[in-house]
Amino acid sequence: MIDTTSTRGTPESTLRNEEPARQPPAGVAAPRVSIAVDDTRQSRAITSVKAQVENLNFYYGQNRALKNLSIPIADKQVTALIGPSGCGKSTFLRCFNRMHDLQPDTRYEGSITLHPDNINLVGSGIDPIEVRMRIGMVFQKPNPFPKTIFENVAYGLRLRGVRNRATLAEEVEKALRGAALWDEVKDRLQDSALALSGGQMQRLCIARALATTPEILLFDEPTSALDPIATAKIEELISTLRDQVTVLIVTHNMQQAARVSDYTAFMYLGELIEFDEAAKIFTNPSKKATEDYITGRYG
Amino acid sequence: MNMGGSDPVEGHTAKAFDAALSDLRLQIVGMGGLVIDQVSAAVRALLDGDATIADLVLSREKKVNELERFVDREAFRLIALHQPMASDLRMAKAASRITVELERAGDEAKKIAKFAARVATGEPQGPVLAVARFLRHMAELTTGMLRDAVRSLDESNAEMASAVRARDSELDDEFAAALRQILTLAMQDARFLGATIDTVFALKGLERIGDHAKNIAEQVLFVASGEDVRHTKKAAEAGTPEK
Repeated sequence: MIDTTSTRGTPESTLRNEEPARQPPAGVAAPRVSIAVDDTRQSRAITSVKAQVENLNFYYGQNRALKNLSIPIADKQVTALIGPSGCGKSTFLRCFNRMHDLQPDTRYEGSITLHPDNINLVGSGIDPIEVRMRIGMVFQKPNPFPKTIFENVAYGLRLRGVRNRATLAEEVEKALRGAALWDEVKDRLQDSALALSGGQMQRLCIARALATTPEILLFDEPTSALDPIATAKIEELISTLRDQVTVLIVTHNMQQAARVSDYTAFMYLGELIEFDEAAKIFTNPSKKATEDYITGRYG
Repeated sequence: MNMGGSDPVEGHTAKAFDAALSDLRLQIVGMGGLVIDQVSAAVRALLDGDATIADLVLSREKKVNELERFVDREAFRLIALHQPMASDLRMAKAASRITVELERAGDEAKKIAKFAARVATGEPQGPVLAVARFLRHMAELTTGMLRDAVRSLDESNAEMASAVRARDSELDDEFAAALRQILTLAMQDARFLGATIDTVFALKGLERIGDHAKNIAEQVLFVASGEDVRHTKKAAEAGTPEK
């Protein structure tokens, strides 16, 4: 499905920054126009895998909610999970930071291998607290702590033992800049985070997650409580985050998945139906079930 | 006149969308440059009986076709992944259409180059030389129209696009005059009938290229205003898009 890498071909224009010539060109033996068409741009390889999901099963009591999932999560790319309600996409996302451990009578089978350390995130010998230190999460509803803007971002750093004021200030600014929020809040870092707008709160939560430099950032329908403008800002932010972190996002908005993701997985009834480059999924999916879902013929 | 004030390609919150749109426009401009070169070169090959230039045109025809597929696919992908609306949607649709027009203009150049290659290897050049002035002038007109049509897209210049439409009638007049001249010649001397017919096709090809340039300009006006100005000849002759 995905097998080649590519670079973009850029045409050399004869039209830009040039006055219109009244005469046909004097000589054409040496072509003035050289244009590279790069057909391989159609698909991009996963050049580096951050996490490999292998035969993952998850049980709520007797109920098997995830069935033999195997997906590569590309490093520093955005992978989106789409599918109808109850398909298991949020359940799958929550496996990555062991959120299910907070509920009794749940069980993982299979593995999510985090590279390059080769640790199994859902392995029984792995401390969920350590997993959550390395895998950040942003929820559907912004959930800032009832503290100042500064303290919200500094919180995770303090937990890790950072005490130096200058270091804290520096890291907080870096995280707020990374979340495209710095310019809006730099003059009121000591104000309550609860005074921010919904979109700002969500970006604050992203900054809070970024502050501890996670290896993977999980988003669980991060814009469903936001208006279109705030949504566009978060989407743009997610697109830029791929420079620094691997992103996994659950969304019930297919258009959003098309806009922000590099790779898209379609899930149905706890199973992975199709996984491919987003451009392929949204223009020519391989499976009929995917086609039916994204064209609105589902159900 | 600038469409809509700000640059129609930039300023989206999603920077990837800006990049995809401007990339699409850049590809069309590049394809336009190549097709303009093809037309100029084909006519020069015909007038000079130059097989080398004719071969160059024929060898680059594949590139034109590739670019058509490429731009079309990028426009298609842009629609699927970015869900463009309003002027952006018009731009994506127009891009698909413009690339078809450019490819067809390139086809006409190819046919002229094939004729040039035959002339270079023995087909009589008399009829060509008899209307050389018209061929040269029509090539200037058509490449100028193509250039301005593509530039009007690149610069989002609706006035320039309107002017391209208006110039089509000048080209039609030239074509009619060239036909009269070559018919007179054919009636006086029927020996070169085959080459005469080929020459008429070359003239007709140039006239068609002007039509393609006009169609591109109409797409640019559609992007600018959302109005479909196709088949509104009166307005085109007046040099203004129909309101």
